[in-house]
Amino acid sequence: MAHEWQANFEQLVDEHQSMVFSLALRMTADRGLAEEIAQDVFLELNKRLGKLESPEHARFWLRRVAMSRSADALRRRKVRGVDLWVELEEMHGAQSEDRTSALASRLEQLLETLPQAQRAALVLRYQEDLTPEEIAAMLETPLATVKSHLQRGLKLLRVKAESCLKEFIRGA
Amino acid sequence: MEHEPRIGREEEFEQELRQAFERRPAPPRLKRRIMDGIRKQQEARRRARLIWWPRIAATFALLAIAAGLAIWHRAEVRRRGEEARQQVLTAFRITTHALNEMNSRLSTRDHARE
Repeated sequence: MAHEWQANFEQLVDEHQSMVFSLALRMTADRGLAEEIAQDVFLELNKRLGKLESPEHARFWLRRVAMSRSADALRRRKVRGVDLWVELEEMHGAQSEDRTSALASRLEQLLETLPQAQRAALVLRYQEDLTPEEIAAMLETPLATVKSHLQRGLKLLRVKAESCLKEFIRGA
Repeated sequence: MEHEPRIGREEEFEQELRQAFERRPAPPRLKRRIMDGIRKQQEARRRARLIWWPRIAATFALLAIAAGLAIWHRAEVRRRGEEARQQVLTAFRITTHALNEMNSRLSTRDHARE
């Protein structure tokens, strides 16, 4: 049954490039690095195309590899954090600023300041809309740990947002 | 009583997060980069095959030459052995013939004396 599905590489790129790029971008906060990661992920996908059994398997594999490659990239290269993000947003921001609200871009900036594990859990929860169980399976982490990362990350983000963005949180 | 607005605020915050963390469109050049990468990967694989084939062929040729030399050497040793055996046999034949000749002469002389 599962083997009936034939993976089409170009179609998979079209369908998932935005997901892979966004995951890498939110994890690394570096557009150039995110592009490199996305490229590597898809090149790796091309090598393993024959082993993918279904579209769901392909999506799961892409998410997992994008997250692990981003973590590897962060380990290799210390990204400078919020300042870099702001710099990059200024460089490339003309387009993205149109699309996302000021609050959204601030939240993205604040996300960058969170510990990596919490950031990963939050990105998978709120970008990919995964359940904690799915996140635990993807990151190969115990469910309790994922829930704790989500809770703490959310709390930390909220505290930071409240101190930085009072006008938005208070609905002003 | 106070929980309700707080829960409402949290949900609102989570909603804001969902909006903030919407997927970003990938840069238009990304797909091109990926496809270029694939082409390079295939080219590298093809080149690697091209590099390896002559090496593999040369290895097989060397192995064939070595095997041929070994077979030739064994055959040569066997041929020399056979030649030496034939020479020894010829020597034996000559010796036997000489001894028989000598024996018959001695027999003739003995008869003549008697």
